[in-house]
Amino acid sequence: MLYFEKTVKRISSRLDWKWFRLAVLVVSSFCLVTWAEAATFTATLDRDMITLGEGATLSLSFEGGAPDNVPVPPGNPNLDVTGTGTSTQFSLSNGQSTSTMTYTFRLTPRQQGDYTIPALTAEVGGQKLTSQPVTLKVLKPSAPAQSAINSGSEMAFLKLVLPRKQVYVGETFTAQLQLHLHSRIQSISQIQLTAFPADGFSVGKMVEAQRRQTQVGNSIYTVIPVEVALKAIKAGPLTIGPVTFGLVVEVPSNGTQRDPFDPLGFFNRGEHRQISVATVTETVQSLTLPPENAPADFNGAVGRFTMAMSAGPTNVAAGDPITVKVQISGRGSLDALTLPDQPAWREFKIYPPTTKVETTDQLGVQGTKTFEQIVTPQNADIRALPPISFSFFDPEVKQYRTLTQPPIPLTVRSGGVSAAPTVLASSQGRQENSPAPAQDIVPNKQRLGTVAQIGPLLVQQPWFLVLQGVPLLAFISAAMIRRRADNLANNPRLRRQREVARTIEQGLHDLKRFANQNDSEQFFATLVRLLQEQLGERLDMPATAITEAVIEEELRPKGLPEATLNTLQDLFQLANLARYAPVKTSQELAALIPRMEATLAELRSLKV
Amino acid sequence: MIPAQISWERRRLAGVSGTVCDTPARRRQLEMSKVQTPVRRRRSLGIPFVLLTLFAIGSFSALADSFTSGFDGANKLYEQAKYADAAAVYEKLIQTGRASEALYFNWGNALFKSGKIGRAIAAYQEAQRIDPRDPDVRANLQFARNQVPGPTLPPDRLSRWLENLTLNEWTCLAAGSSWIWLCLLALLKWRRDLRAALKSFVVWLGWIAAALAVCLAMAFYSTQIVHHAIIVNPETTARQAPLDESQRAFTLNDGAELQILDQKDQWLQVKVDPRRIGWVRKVDALISPGT
Repeated sequence: MLYFEKTVKRISSRLDWKWFRLAVLVVSSFCLVTWAEAATFTATLDRDMITLGEGATLSLSFEGGAPDNVPVPPGNPNLDVTGTGTSTQFSLSNGQSTSTMTYTFRLTPRQQGDYTIPALTAEVGGQKLTSQPVTLKVLKPSAPAQSAINSGSEMAFLKLVLPRKQVYVGETFTAQLQLHLHSRIQSISQIQLTAFPADGFSVGKMVEAQRRQTQVGNSIYTVIPVEVALKAIKAGPLTIGPVTFGLVVEVPSNGTQRDPFDPLGFFNRGEHRQISVATVTETVQSLTLPPENAPADFNGAVGRFTMAMSAGPTNVAAGDPITVKVQISGRGSLDALTLPDQPAWREFKIYPPTTKVETTDQLGVQGTKTFEQIVTPQNADIRALPPISFSFFDPEVKQYRTLTQPPIPLTVRSGGVSAAPTVLASSQGRQENSPAPAQDIVPNKQRLGTVAQIGPLLVQQPWFLVLQGVPLLAFISAAMIRRRADNLANNPRLRRQREVARTIEQGLHDLKRFANQNDSEQFFATLVRLLQEQLGERLDMPATAITEAVIEEELRPKGLPEATLNTLQDLFQLANLARYAPVKTSQELAALIPRMEATLAELRSLKV
Repeated sequence: MIPAQISWERRRLAGVSGTVCDTPARRRQLEMSKVQTPVRRRRSLGIPFVLLTLFAIGSFSALADSFTSGFDGANKLYEQAKYADAAAVYEKLIQTGRASEALYFNWGNALFKSGKIGRAIAAYQEAQRIDPRDPDVRANLQFARNQVPGPTLPPDRLSRWLENLTLNEWTCLAAGSSWIWLCLLALLKWRRDLRAALKSFVVWLGWIAAALAVCLAMAFYSTQIVHHAIIVNPETTARQAPLDESQRAFTLNDGAELQILDQKDQWLQVKVDPRRIGWVRKVDALISPGT
């Protein structure tokens, strides 16, 4: 036993990791070959039967190997197929490992019926595999029974509310879809209108209205109302529905296992379910418009409208354009409104109108349609723009109505004669509070006023542009001066250097003056003071502390030329001598000044 | 007869107030005053100088009188309802290179009464550029615009607000405020003790100067960079391409205001609104500013 253990240890110590990895690779390859030999391909649906509006998931699973090419299930116009992802699963059981690769596809039917996914073929490791065909049954959605709704047990249901059961052909009305969601639903997403069967109706815009809550049975539901504009386009009994919505709802998960970190379920994320809701089928009787009492100029407008009209200019020459503006406001199919032919306008040349629709509601069934029409009077005998009329059928009172605007007086001159145009006139009564529009232009000015030369703009004149640089230059100069002053204030040595330079400049003048005056005492006192100032500044010492001794102690170690040192020594000694023998001639004193200047210059160049 | 491309295209009045100061005589006078001569020589030139000055003043007075009499004469023609003749005289006066707001205003009135709404609007706009706050000019410009049938592109609210001041007034305001601001900044560099007292004032003045500079830039852009056109023919067809054979896009009436997007040969690409873009002939429109 001991021998065996030693042998194992010896072998394992010799075993290199590189060889170990190679062995693992060989074993893995062997396993893969084994899997390839036993590869299978299956196609499965998560559900065989769904209602229209819901979706199903098709899984293509490859066990024992990966396919060379992933087969894609064929779609058709009524079935959308969308790839949703891939997953791989490894399992090890009884020493045997299996690998399963699954490709999932989302199947979304657009119509009820049976959809068959045919047998699919894929190649796995050179082996051709075929799946079995699968069939998806799509049922027609149906509204739940009224008793189920009233009990409050439905998770969600949809209601279609119609304003009335009788409408007229061409009438635009608003239906409301009410999506009821049980209070257990935490959130909804992916709401999609999957079907809106409304044969004989033109379906317009859909707008979500204000959400509210309501009680059904013992349950509270959130109601999401969706308004939809409908227009009946043919007569007879017409059906609407079942309107279906598909949506994903999140409901609390009802699993028995509680999260140990969330025992009360505060952070329960819930589970997502795709559901489909449908309305019952409603029947609406669409009536034809009564032929009796239909006005001659009626051209199919159904709704409730008012009309306003304006035209201008009203004082024109024959052939001049007049803009006629007709505004029809109200509720109805505004886009379909057209102005009827106006036979009374035969003496005018009429151009095609431009139209503009301005709606005042989100559904686009209420607002104003403006027709802007250019007309030109053909002769000077025309005295007025004839009355314009517009007829429509009012479905609420079930009668035809005709709106007529009075004629607008015109002054038409024969072509070529010019006169003052007048203001745009309106056929609507002007409000009392609004200011009266001007009837003519303000007359001529009798004074010429200030006459000026026509010339370029100020901003385009070079001198002006150059002038704008002056304040900028002033600012830059001030900033630079301030910066220099700040530098000086923050550098005491520099400040002293400048003060000493000024003192020496002044002192040299004084020396010349004292030499001329033959004032030996003042001359040498000034000379010593200047030397002290200059040396003190250079050596960063107080001027009063400078004596002849600094020549040997400070200047010589700093490498000042010997000649300068000698001159400095001479000057100090002469000053000392002068205290006791002050008598010197002006020439002798003046002769010292150049030496003094040269020495000071040498000292200024001294590096410290 | 007024030429198609009237002076509106290129003329701008200088913002110089007061009487005429740049006549040839006045220039001669200024040049003479600059001549550096010895005292004795200057004395000897004294009498001719005085004579020349008197001559210049006399010439100027005569010129001004003829200008005023021309204006009065045109006004008389207008009162006699000879609007086209009056407009021609007003235009002749403007072509001398001098003008006033009243001259442009009356010219606009004469054109309007002649039935030339587009040209009248252009004249009123010139008058407004000289005196933008004159209520008479505003009223007539608005009145003329109201007479224009069909599509037109009146100035937007911002442009109307900017037109409350002339470009020269905007320039002076912007330049003046920036001068004061920069001088104050320079003063604060010099006198630091004033910094605490003037700091908030300088900050506000800086913002005001910047805002005025932006206003100037916008006013300059809207009047000088963006090109506008006014239709001057009774009925002008905008076409879909710059060709006579091209399809008709829409019709424009005399006085319709447009924005120029492009130009090619003798055609202008114009825009009334985002949906109405077309090409009109240059001869059918007045262009502002001159392009």
